[in-house]
Amino acid sequence: MTNASSPWRDFFVEFSRNRVALAAGIVTLLIVVVALAAPLIAPQDPYDLARLALRDARRAPGFVGSGGYVHLLGTDSQGRDLLSAILYGLRISLQIGAISGAVAFTVGALVGTSAAYIGGRVESLLMRIVDLQLSFPAILLAFVIAAILGQGRYQLILALIFAQYAYFARTAHGAASAERQKDYVEAALSVPLKARRVVLRHILPNSLPPLIVVATVQVASAISLEATLSFLGVGLPPTEPSLGMLIANGFQYLLSGRYWISIYPGIALIIFIVSLNLVGDQIRDQLNPRLQK
Amino acid sequence: MFSFIFQRLFQAGLVVIAMSVLVFCGVFAVGNPIDVLISPDATQEIRAQVIARYGLDLPLWQQYLQFASRLLHGDFGTSFIYGMPVGSLILSRLPATLELTIFAVLLASCIGIPLGVYAGYKPQSPAARIIMGASILGFSVPTFWFGLMLIMVFAVQCGCMPAGGRGDTVSLFGVEWSFLTANGMKHLLLPAINLALFKLSMMIRLARAGTREIMLSDTVKFARAAGLSERTILTRHVMKLISIPLVTVFGLEFGSTLAFAVVTETIFSWPGLGKLIIDSITSLDRPVMVAYLMLVALLFIIINLSVDLVYALLDPRLRKGRA
Amino acid sequence: MMAKAAEMTTPLLQVSDLKTYFHTSRGVMKAVDGVSFSLAPGEVMGLVGESGSGKSITGFSIIGLIDQPGRIESGSSIRLEGREIVGLPADQLRAIRGKTISMVFQDPMMTLNPVLSIETQIRLALEAHEKVSAAEARKRAIAALAQVRIPDPEQKVDFYPHQFSGGMRQRVAIAIALLHKPRLVIADEPTTALDVSVQAEILAEMKELVKEIGTALIWISHDLATVASIADHVAVMKTGRIVEAGPTMDVLLKPQHPYTRGLLDALPSRSEPGALLARNSGDSEPDPAPPPRREAAAKAPARADVPYFAIDGVSKQFRRNTGLVHALGEKIGLARPVPVVNAVDKVSLTLSRGDALGLVGESGSGKSTLGRMAAGIYVPTAGTVRLQGEQVMSSGRSARKITTRIQTIFQDPFASLDPRMHIGDCISEGPLAHGLVKRAQAGEYVRQWLAAVGLDPAFAGRYPHQFSGGQRQRVAIARALAMQPDIVVCDEPVASLDVSIQAQIINLLIRLRQELNLTLIFISHDLSVVRHLCDRVAIMYRGRIVEAGETADIYDNPKDDYTRRLLAAVPVLPQAAEEAVL
Repeated sequence: MTNASSPWRDFFVEFSRNRVALAAGIVTLLIVVVALAAPLIAPQDPYDLARLALRDARRAPGFVGSGGYVHLLGTDSQGRDLLSAILYGLRISLQIGAISGAVAFTVGALVGTSAAYIGGRVESLLMRIVDLQLSFPAILLAFVIAAILGQGRYQLILALIFAQYAYFARTAHGAASAERQKDYVEAALSVPLKARRVVLRHILPNSLPPLIVVATVQVASAISLEATLSFLGVGLPPTEPSLGMLIANGFQYLLSGRYWISIYPGIALIIFIVSLNLVGDQIRDQLNPRLQK
Repeated sequence: MFSFIFQRLFQAGLVVIAMSVLVFCGVFAVGNPIDVLISPDATQEIRAQVIARYGLDLPLWQQYLQFASRLLHGDFGTSFIYGMPVGSLILSRLPATLELTIFAVLLASCIGIPLGVYAGYKPQSPAARIIMGASILGFSVPTFWFGLMLIMVFAVQCGCMPAGGRGDTVSLFGVEWSFLTANGMKHLLLPAINLALFKLSMMIRLARAGTREIMLSDTVKFARAAGLSERTILTRHVMKLISIPLVTVFGLEFGSTLAFAVVTETIFSWPGLGKLIIDSITSLDRPVMVAYLMLVALLFIIINLSVDLVYALLDPRLRKGRA
Repeated sequence: MMAKAAEMTTPLLQVSDLKTYFHTSRGVMKAVDGVSFSLAPGEVMGLVGESGSGKSITGFSIIGLIDQPGRIESGSSIRLEGREIVGLPADQLRAIRGKTISMVFQDPMMTLNPVLSIETQIRLALEAHEKVSAAEARKRAIAALAQVRIPDPEQKVDFYPHQFSGGMRQRVAIAIALLHKPRLVIADEPTTALDVSVQAEILAEMKELVKEIGTALIWISHDLATVASIADHVAVMKTGRIVEAGPTMDVLLKPQHPYTRGLLDALPSRSEPGALLARNSGDSEPDPAPPPRREAAAKAPARADVPYFAIDGVSKQFRRNTGLVHALGEKIGLARPVPVVNAVDKVSLTLSRGDALGLVGESGSGKSTLGRMAAGIYVPTAGTVRLQGEQVMSSGRSARKITTRIQTIFQDPFASLDPRMHIGDCISEGPLAHGLVKRAQAGEYVRQWLAAVGLDPAFAGRYPHQFSGGQRQRVAIARALAMQPDIVVCDEPVASLDVSIQAQIINLLIRLRQELNLTLIFISHDLSVVRHLCDRVAIMYRGRIVEAGETADIYDNPKDDYTRRLLAAVPVLPQAAEEAVL
C-alpha cells in the first residue's frame, strides 16, 4: 500500500518471483543484445563471401582456420564460422520476428479494438474474416504468398503479418469487448468523453496485457516459422544465412557425423524460442484472474 | 438447430467462393495466366491456342466464371513436372498425407489430453511440473529440427528405425495404406511422432488450463460437497466440461497438422501432398499449387463444419433452447 | 449404557477453537481465528457477518473443503455427533460429505454443471453414497425435485441447468443437498444472488424442509433480516471470531456487543427516512464542503412551462447480434428472426428540481436500462429524455450524449474505476475535457473533492486497487460530482457494499444532495434503502412502471398487485416486538 505501487510495478515484482521466468526473461534480453551487436562481436562477417575459404569448410569445433582464430562451434559447408553465422542468423530471426510481430500487433489491435467499439455489422464482418484466417494455418498462408509473390525477406515478413495479425485481432477483440462492457467505460461515456479518448485512454490500455502474451507467443512462432520456411527452401533466399538455412545446409552432413552444422544453430534457435515462450507463459499465468490468490 | 446448420452451410459456401476468388486473383490475375496454364517452353502457336481456349482476352469477371466452372468440373489443368492431370495426381498423394496426419493427431490427443488433465488436476505435483516443462520444450522446438534429431538418433545412431519412405503398403478400398503392415507401421512411427510433438504439447497445455479452471469452479466444489469421489468428479464432470473446447481445438488442429505435414514429409521423404506442394512451389508448377490450395480450403471447411456440428451435439446450451 | 446416555446429550456439532489460516507468500491470513459453538440436532443457526468476517470459511471448514493454501490449524476441533472430523483421511471425510453434512452455495448459476442433465447430476450425487439402479435413481431424482416444489418434476428431470431460472437452479441444488437426508445442511448465502420475491419463497421452503427432514441448518448470511426470519440462534462474526451469539431475538433486540449494535444501527429500515445512519458509532467529524460550482455552468433560466426533467415514452429494445449471414437469411426468409427483448417499454416520468426518485425493481425489470437512458449512456429506441426542455442526447443516427449536467454513479466500484488510472486523473479527466477546471487548478480541485467525500487528499496518486470497496465508491461519487451535475443517476450504488459501509455511503449521498441541491434518480432492488433516501418511488416490472408516487403512500398503501407482492416478500427485522418490549 505504498504510493509507488502501480499496476505495472506490481506486475514486475510478481514476475520476478518466478525464477524460471526471470531467467528466461534475462536470456531473452541477452539474445536480443547479442543479436543486435552481432557485427561488433562476431569473429567474421558471414555475408562477406570474399573472406570465406573453402578449405575451412566443415571443420569441427575448435579448429583454427585461415583467419587465424578459433572456430568455437566449427564451420559450415562454405567455410563460414558457425558462431558468427548463428549470431547473424539470430539477428535475422529477431528482425523478422520483431517487425512482423510489431506490425501484426498494431494492425490486429486496431482491427480488434475498433470492431469491438463499433459493434454491429462491421464487427461481425471483421471478426468473421479474422476467424476464417485463424482457421487457416500460418504455414499455408506463407506458402500462398511465397507462391504468389516469390521468395524474399519482405515477402516473408508480409506473409507472417498476414498470418499473425488475426491472432492479435481476435485477442484484442475479446479483451476490448470485455472492457467495453465494464462500468468504467460506461462511466467515461456518461461524462461524456469523446469516443476516441475512451478507446485510446481507457479501452486500449486495459486490453494490452493479453495482447502482450500473444505478442511473445507470436514472435516466438514467427521465428520458428521463418526457420521452417527457410529450411524448406521457400523462405529467405540462399544468400541470407538464416538459422533455418544453416540447419538445412547441415542436414546432408548430419548423416555423415558432422553434427555441428545442424545442431548448434538448432540449439540457439530453441533457446531463443523457449525463453520467449517461458516469458509469455508466466505473463499469462499472472494475468489469469481465476488463478490469482 | 436447423437454423444453426443452415447458417453454417451458408457460411461454408461463402468461404469456398471467397477462397476461389482469392486463388484466382493470387495465382491467375497477379501472375501472367499463360505461365500458369502452359509450360514455359511451349511454342508460340500453342500459346495462342491456349489464350483462345481459356478466354484470356475476356473481361476479368468472365475469366473468373470460367475458372470457377472448370474447378467445379474437377479440371485443374496438367502438371508441368509430372505431365498428368493435377486432379488425379493430388488424389493419388492424398491417402499418404491423411494417414500420417490422422495418426499424429490421434497420438497427440490420446497422450496429450490425459497428461494435461493430470497436470491441471495436481498443478503443484512434481510430475505435473515435468509435464509442463516438457510441453514448453515441445511447444518451442521447431518441427523440422525435431525431425532431424529423430533421424539422427533412431535412424543413424541406433539404426533401429527407417529414415524415410513409406515402407510396405496394403491396398484397401483401392488405396494404398502403410499402417496395416508391420513394416509400414515402422516407417510411419517416426514421422507421426515428429508431426505429433507440437500438437501434443498444445493439447497438454489446453487440457491443463481447462482442467485447472474447472477444478477451481463452484461446480466442482459443489460436487465435492455432495460427497462425489475425485474419480467421478474427474471422469464425469471435468471430462465432460473440457471435451467441448477440446473438440473445437481437435478440429482446428487437424487442419493445421495437415499443413505442417509438409515439413515432416519433406524430412522423412514421405510421399504425400506436402512434398508435392513444396516441389511445385520450388519448380513453379502452378496448376498443382492452385489445386492444392483449393483442396486444402475444402478440407478446412469440411473440418470446421463437422466441428461445429459436434460442438452443437455436445453442448446442451446449443442443443436445447431455454424453457 | 453410559455411552448411550452420553449420546443423548451430545450436540450434533461441536466446534471448538476452530482456526483456519491461509498461508500465502505475503503472510498468514487468519480467516477463522478461534471460533467455537455447538449445534443441537434439528437446530437452525444463523451465522452473520460482513465480507471477510470468515463466516463462509467457517462453513467450508466444517464440511472439510478448504483449498490450498488454507489449512485448519492444529488444536482446532470439529466434532460431528461426538466424532472428531478434523484430520480425518480424505475418503472418510468424503463419506461424511453429502451424507451427513451437505452444503448449498451462493450462486446457483455456477454450482450446477451446465453440460449434464439434472437427472445425471442427481444420480451422481446418489451414487456417491449408495448403490442404485438407473430406474431407481430416476425415480428418486423426480421425488427429490418434487420435494423442493419444482413443478412437473417428471419432465424437468431431463432439463439442463440453462433451462432453469436462478431460483429453480437453487432449488435443484437444495434437492441435491437434501438427497441423503443429512443431519446438517450448511447454506452459504443461498438467497443472496436471487431476487427478493424468489428469496422469500426459498426461505419459506427451506424452513419447511428443515422441519420435514429434521436436519440442522447453518444459515450463513450478511443479511440480518433473512437470518432473523429463519434461525433459532445467531452468531455474529467479525474478523474471524464470533463476537456475539445467542437466541435470535435476544441478539437482535438486546445486542450486547458494540459491533452488533453498529450493524443494526446501520440498517436504513431502523432509522427515520432521510436521517443519517449509525450516528451513534460517531467517529466522524463532518467532511469539508466540496469546491464551489463554476457559476457560468450553472442554471439555464427556469421555464415554468416545461418539467425540469422529463422522460417521455422511452423504450429500449435489445437484439442479439447474430451476424451478417443470419441477417441475410432473415431477409430472404430462410432464417427465423431473432427475438427482440423489450428491456424498457414506453416509460414516462417527470422530476422536479431537487427530487429524489427511487426506481425499484427485480433483476430484468429494466430499471438499470432506464437509468442508463436517463443518464444518456444508452440511446433510446424510441422516446426522448429532456432536461429543462433540452434533449440529453443529440438525435440522428450517431446519437450521443451532449450534456454534462447528468452524471452517473455505478453499482460496482471495483468495475467502475479504470484500474490503470490514478484516481486523481480519474476525477479530473472529465472536468478537464469539458473545461470545468483549468489544468493548473486540476490538482487542487481533485484534492478538494477527495476531502469532500471523506478521503485523504493525498490519495490522488493512488490506483483503485489500493482502496477498499467503500473508498472506491467514494472516489466514484467524487468523479460524478466533480462534473458539477444537476442530476445524478445512482445505479445500485450500495448494493455490493457491506451494511456498515453502505450506511456511510448513504450518509454521504444524503449530505451531498443537500449541499449541492442535487436531483437524484436512485436505482435499487433494496426497498429499505429506497424508502430511506427517496421522497418519490417508481416500481418497475418487466420494462414498465407499474406504480409511482410518494414513497410513504406506496409503501403503506400499495395499489398494484406486483408492488404488494414485492413489499410482502421483504424480510423484516423483528422491530415491532422491540417497541412493544420497550
